[in-house]
Amino acid sequence: MEFYDDISSVVEETNGMLCRNRKRNYDGDDDDNNDEDEGRFKSKNLKAERKRREKLKSRMLELRSLVPKITNLNKETIITDAIDYIEELQDSVTNLTNEIHKIEAELAIEQSFDILHICQEEKMKKWGIESEVEVSRINENKLWMKIVFEKKVGGFTKLIQAMSMLGIELVDTSVTTTKGAVLVTSCIEGKMLIPEQVREELVDVIKVL
Amino acid sequence: MLVNTEMYEGSACYDPTLIDHQEEHVHNFHQTPNFSSIEASTDYQLLNMDMDHQNQIIHDLNWTTHSHDQIQIGNDTNCFPNMPLITPNPAPPDLLNLFQLPRCSNSSISFSNPNHMDQPSYDPLLPLNLPPQPPFFRELLHSLPNGYNLTGGGSIFGDIDMEREGMRGELHQLYHEGDGILKFNGDINGIVGKGRDVKDTKHFATEKHRRQQLNDKFDALKNLVPIPTKADRASVVGDAIEYINELKRTVEELTILVERKRCNRGRLKKHKAEDDSTLDVESINTRPNGGGDHDQQAYNGNSTSTLRSSWLQRKSKNTEVDVRIIDDEVTIKLVQQKKINCLLFVSKVLDELQLDLHHVAGGLIGDFYSYLFNTKICEGSSVYASAIANKLIEVVDRHYASIPSTTGY
Repeated sequence: MEFYDDISSVVEETNGMLCRNRKRNYDGDDDDNNDEDEGRFKSKNLKAERKRREKLKSRMLELRSLVPKITNLNKETIITDAIDYIEELQDSVTNLTNEIHKIEAELAIEQSFDILHICQEEKMKKWGIESEVEVSRINENKLWMKIVFEKKVGGFTKLIQAMSMLGIELVDTSVTTTKGAVLVTSCIEGKMLIPEQVREELVDVIKVL
Repeated sequence: MLVNTEMYEGSACYDPTLIDHQEEHVHNFHQTPNFSSIEASTDYQLLNMDMDHQNQIIHDLNWTTHSHDQIQIGNDTNCFPNMPLITPNPAPPDLLNLFQLPRCSNSSISFSNPNHMDQPSYDPLLPLNLPPQPPFFRELLHSLPNGYNLTGGGSIFGDIDMEREGMRGELHQLYHEGDGILKFNGDINGIVGKGRDVKDTKHFATEKHRRQQLNDKFDALKNLVPIPTKADRASVVGDAIEYINELKRTVEELTILVERKRCNRGRLKKHKAEDDSTLDVESINTRPNGGGDHDQQAYNGNSTSTLRSSWLQRKSKNTEVDVRIIDDEVTIKLVQQKKINCLLFVSKVLDELQLDLHHVAGGLIGDFYSYLFNTKICEGSSVYASAIANKLIEVVDRHYASIPSTTGY
């Protein structure tokens, strides 16, 4: 790192000398700048280059602070140690994942995920929510749709699938679930869609869910 | 130091195939053909670039990249037994004999090689036209007088640099002036002592080598990181920082999961032994401390009190996925170039992963479909962030690829 710094300081010095002497344009810097600052800012390039170097330096320090193993403190070893550390972490990630899979395989028979348990906690009807479908036209291409149905495992997926088969494309969608019910509000598009027809189709779909 | 000109004449310097072999062996410590073929191709490039200069690539002292260390060790142990013993040449070949050095009349270097006779495979190699093993280089350069280093002074061929990309971490150059005199740079990196192993010295033949080494390291770092942004050094380091943080989060998350899983497994076994009633997985996590098995209770307490959190992002060509997990809630942000409406596929994936969909919002924005999913992890499921992200990207990309036209699902 010292070497690198030496080079940069040498470059700066030469830059300074040249600009002070005003004998040459170094790296195409601005003459006006030189005249104004009187050699304080040696060239636009120098400012930018310095900023770039400091940016890199600060990031290197940050990297070093993250990595636990520190051998020497020069640029190369920072990078080398970082590479090693990353590989180490990757290895431990794979090991842990394998372990999880192993344990899961062991437990596969014994456990059952109680999804239905979650879904049917609060029955929709208990709260007086009814399933419904509303479809209305926004403009010649777009319709607006609102559906309420009972939350079931995979229900939403089935709904979307049915809609895609009917040729309905959801443009803007909002889905919320509460009290065991699912509310789907969406702007929909499709070829030759008639609101009433769409409504009928969706009612049928919901019944099947 | 003088070099015996006869040594040059002994080897067929200008035979391209010979040069190829020599070059490939000089910096290729493997015995595998794959590697050598790759090296050979780059060598040919070099050769074609600079036929006039006869650039034999010779290794410098720095063979300290880890892979090369291992290879070197492996090579040392493997290579010797494999070498067939051929009757040695009458004249003990000098080390430089095996280098494709240009003929020169004013050669002013010689090396004393007292140790070269000891190498048994040295002789068999020569008839096979294979250059010496790495130890020879070490010997050669260690036999130089103190404080001297083999460099080319200022006349390094700058145009060789461009061929570097094929060879990571190693660039081998024999530097020489036009008249064939090897110059010695007396300042940096004096190589002294026989006991020194190449592995633990990081002496570069030139500042240029050092820079190249550093550049290669940056490239290595860049290749490790999954989501590269820009290719300049500061960004590479920045990406590396973020990636390290992400990996640490993932490791944390996974350790918590493993702990929970182990704890549950222990509990399940215990419950199975005790009673056959249906196992309510929820109750396991809420059982108070102080009962029964103390070890497991301790784990239990730990797993419930540590809040599991993780966050990562994954990008592919058409898709961007951001997965955040806090405790049992997973928030997924998905941005995807419009071609297919991914809502259906994502919904399917979430069902597979046993994520309970609570909220969804999103739609078509300009050229992209962008969605935000709020889901909950079902009890007992051990899904983790990177699995979710990877699965989503895989599925969406697959469907994206399978749709040929711009319309349709």
